[in-house]
Formats: sequence, C-alpha cells, structure tokens
Amino acid sequence: MSSVSAAHVPTDALDRDSGRARLPDRSGSAAAEDGVRLAWDVYGTGDPTVVFLPSAPIVHSRQWKAQVPYLSRHHRVVTYDGRGNPRSDRPTDPEAYADDRMTGDIRTILDATETDRAVLVGLCIDGVWRSIRLAAEHPERVLGIVAFGIGVPRLAPAQPHYQASSATFHEELPSAEGWEKMNAAYWRRDYPDFARFFFSEMTTEPHSTKAIEDAAGWAADGSVDAMLAESETTFPFDLAQVEATCRAVRCPMLLIHGTEDQCQSIQRAHRLAELTGAPLVVVDGANHMIPGRHPVLANLLIRDFIRSLEGSPT
Amino acid sequence: MVASPSAPVGTRPNASPSAAGAWQPRPEQSRARDPDETGFVVRDGVRIAWERYGSGEPTILLLPTWTIIHSRFWKAQIPYLARLFRVVTFDGRGNGRSDRPSDPAAYAATEFVADALAVLDATGTERAVVAGLSMGAAYVLMLSGDHPERVLGTVYLGAALPLADRDPGRDEVPFDDDVGRDEGWARYNAFSWRRDWPGFVEFFFGEVFSETHSTKQIEDALDWGLETDADTMVTAEHAPYIETTENGVGLTGRAAALALAARSRCPSLVIHGTSDRIIPFAVGERLAEALGATLVAMEGSGHDVLGREPVLANLLIRDFVRGLERGS
Repeated sequence: MSSVSAAHVPTDALDRDSGRARLPDRSGSAAAEDGVRLAWDVYGTGDPTVVFLPSAPIVHSRQWKAQVPYLSRHHRVVTYDGRGNPRSDRPTDPEAYADDRMTGDIRTILDATETDRAVLVGLCIDGVWRSIRLAAEHPERVLGIVAFGIGVPRLAPAQPHYQASSATFHEELPSAEGWEKMNAAYWRRDYPDFARFFFSEMTTEPHSTKAIEDAAGWAADGSVDAMLAESETTFPFDLAQVEATCRAVRCPMLLIHGTEDQCQSIQRAHRLAELTGAPLVVVDGANHMIPGRHPVLANLLIRDFIRSLEGSPT
Repeated sequence: MVASPSAPVGTRPNASPSAAGAWQPRPEQSRARDPDETGFVVRDGVRIAWERYGSGEPTILLLPTWTIIHSRFWKAQIPYLARLFRVVTFDGRGNGRSDRPSDPAAYAATEFVADALAVLDATGTERAVVAGLSMGAAYVLMLSGDHPERVLGTVYLGAALPLADRDPGRDEVPFDDDVGRDEGWARYNAFSWRRDWPGFVEFFFGEVFSETHSTKQIEDALDWGLETDADTMVTAEHAPYIETTENGVGLTGRAAALALAARSRCPSLVIHGTSDRIIPFAVGERLAEALGATLVAMEGSGHDVLGREPVLANLLIRDFVRGLERGS
C-alpha cells in the first residue's frame, strides 16, 4: 500500500477552477514505486468504483469535469493527475514515463484509495492501452473498461500528421504552420499556442470554443519539460505482443470512437473490437475529445455499461 | 454536428447491448419537445402561426420579439416549462410561419398585442403569465397595462423600452439614408440591409450574444434571421412602437411606457444583463422601479439570457410562476 497524505496541495490551476459542479470528498497523494507522487481525488460513494485515467501530461484530471459530477451521484469516482501535470510530480527523466510505470500508476492509485477493483475509463493511449494492459496482467483489479478515442499503438499506423511531425520533432523548422507546431523547439518557444492549435485539431466539431479553451488551459497548467520527457519514451511492445495483450482481456469492455478522430485512427478501434469482441460505438462526426465535447452521450454510455455489469457474474 | 452510434461491431455475452442503444440519434434542429397543438389566427388577412405545449396550470404566453427572429428563440424554455405549465407561443408577423404583410402599419406594436389576444382566444386561454424579450417587453407592458384581465403576471427580459439613453454609437447613421457603409452599427440602415442582410444579422447577434462561447446561439439566430428578409424588415422598421392612451390622450415612447407601468398591477419580474450591448442595463433598473418589480441583474450577461443562460432563465421563470400560485 502506498502512503497517503491527508490533503492535496492546492495550485493556481485549481484555485482558478473553484467553481466546480462537484468538489472531491477526499483528496490525497500517493507515491509510485519510483517515488513519483501522484495526486488523487475521490468523489461520492456507491459500487462499483469508477477510476478515470489520465491521458498524457498535456492535460490533467479536470479533463473529466463533465463526467465526475454525474457519475459520482451513483458511484464512487476516483480521478488522478498523471505524471507531469499539475499536482502530481513532473519528472523530466524520460524513463519516468515508461509504459511499465504509467501502467503501475493505476495500481498505485487503486491501492492508495483502497479500491480492490474498479471500472476503468480512459481516453487515448494513456487511458486505453494502459487499462488493457492492467486488465490483462491483473484481471482481479479490473471489472470493466470504457475506452474512448481508442489509443492502442501498433494496431494501425499513426495518423499521417503525427508521422510527419515526429520525423522533424527535434529539428529547428523555419516555420511553425499547422502540425509544424508539434516540434520540441516550438514547444519551448510557445507551448500555449501549440496547445490551442492541438486542441483545435482534436475538437473540430462546431461550437467547441469552450472545450478548446478548457483543454488549452489544462495544458498551460503543465510543464513543457515533462511533455518533452514523455515524448522521448518509446513504446516497448511489437504488434504481436500488443495483439496478445488485447486478446487476453477477459472483462467486459465498451469501445467508443469518433469518425473524425484526428488523434487515433478508427482502424485501431475496429481492430481492437475484433481482438476483444467488445462492442464499438462509432460516433458520427465526433473527433477525439468525446467525453469533453459530447458529455451527455459519454455519460450515458458509461452509466449503461456499468449497469450492464451489475447483472453479470463478477 | 450530430453524433449517432452505428451498429456495434462484435458482441460478447456480458457486455451491454443497451449501452450502444442508450443514445437516440436525431437531427440537430429537431425539437426537444414538439407542440401538442398548432393553429393559425387570421387578423385583417394576416395569418399568425401559434403553438401550444403541455397542459399544466397556469398558461405562459411566450411573446414574439423583433421580427428578425421567430418563436424558436424560446427553444431552451419551451421543453422545460411545458413539463410544468401550459406554454403558448406564436411567430410574430414577418417571420417564421406567420405572414409577412407589406404595409408598415401592420407591424405596429398594437398589432402584435392584438395578435397576442387573438392567440389567447384561439387557444382558449382566459389569463396567462406573459413573458417577452427585448421588443417583446413592449408587448408585455401593453398587455398588462391595457388588458389586465388577461394577464396573471409579467416577465421582462432585456426590455427594449425608451427608459434610458442608448449608446450614441447605436444611432450614428440615419436608417433611411444611404451612407454606403456596411460596418458596425452603420449596418443598422435600410440600404445596408438590402445590400447585405445576412451580414447585418451576423453582426447584430454578435452584439446580442457578447458572451464568450456563444457560437451556437449566434448560428441559430442567423438561421432564424434568414427566414425573413431585408424588405420585410425595412417595412416593419417604419411601424409605430409602444403606445397607449391616458385620459383620452395618445401617448408614445417614454411617456407611454411609464403610464403603462404605473397602470400595471400584476406581479412582475425584470431580468436584465449587466453587459447588455443592445439595451443598457439602466433600462431594466428603471423598468423595475416603475413597476415596483423584482430586478434580477445577470452579472456579465448580454442581451439574450434566454438563449445564453437558459437554465438560470428557466428557473427564474419557474419560481416566479410558482410564486404566483402561492399568492393566489
């Protein structure tokens, strides 16, 4: 069991955010095996516990702001800030963001919040792949998985704009148009502008100004150094290993993916559905940020998925 | 943007098939609540389209406003209020499903008031709570001042009444002179409207919805604004506005507003945004004072709190109506 401190450390980010629809009932921080401290919050009571996972250090646990108030009326809800943003530690050693450690963080949080088993909800690679890995390796801890914006590396090629920008990520580019902003030097020069660009690309639905502003604000709460460190990590598994891990999942899953997802290609979602037999909800016209941009749809899908577990043998 | 789940790919016995079906797809501009009854009233050959929702007590009559939009501007109120009360709306002459007469006199405020009374009759409504936004506030005031037997209570939102000076920039260009400029408030001009009606509508609702994150409200209003046209709007612009008589003397403008307010006896609620760019907040203050009504100052809000702060507006209206029931 990891250590638990009584109160979280308020930051400017959370002061700014004081008008929450629902405040946590309990907050604390837990140390991972490598000593990195992770800030967590618990809301509500009611079985089963639902843990919302972080999605990369570009945002933090407020990414689930539209889910927490609703679901915590019926369930115990746990969120935590991932490594790098903003109340958790912000290591600058790339090794701190390795797949093993990020997956291990879920167990650290489960232990710290005295949660034996939980439904995991995640978005993108940090949310989806890591919950799959945990379910495959520690099935006794995972009751079910709700996966948005299916981020499972290797199942299909990365989006073309990611391939192009990763090829020149460490180069000094003469311009910073569009995806050229996905560049180490540019992040150091104007990370807030990158964040606004990035979330505009991830949220192309009409009338998304609020969702974009929120996400860009969470990015600004974080750290460029943490982002750069995280970008140095390499994914440690090949396709066969990834597929074997996906096939090994035994708990119920629900997959949700937008037809316009600019972060994770929909081929990854279809392939994961084939490998796991899980139902895939394809949301017409939606981009990557479904929980933030389509919260009612996301909340009802999560709610009904959890209800469906109640009738099943556990 | 409409999200619609497709058929699930693959199944497993203990995963929820209902999860994928929980969300019912529907076109974006479909209605959260359809009317239970619709009809037309005809006055002087002009057809006025009305709708009735729900069957609770009392009835709330949601009035038209400026002809630039039609009754869908109440879209965020109707589904909620109709669960609790009986709701009647109608499209003002010149937009929506109502006719577009070509005589300026047909757009007089007195005609809108007569339409409201005709709709109350057609829907079998003896008395109603009456609510109006912007120019609709003049119709509310004329109904409660001159037809008190039909009005249970009144709600005024962003009231467009001549009770305080407007920002001088608003009136920099005479409406009927062609100054050849299509920018800012210079667009408030017959020639500019005929040159670029959509441009005016977009500009105007940008001023109405001055709050951040209002793109949806502006887009909706633009759709409604394009259901009428520049010629109709120019015609309506030449119609007389608020008027009444007192001791046999005809009154208009500020004198009419104050006389009507003094005569108004029913409970009233005045709601006004402190950052309203169309009608200064001071108008709401003076109206509340003249009526002896409660003033709700919406801090930082613009002109249309119905569209931009619908939950708050709905709860204010609900609580006001419930307060009437307790008082009766």
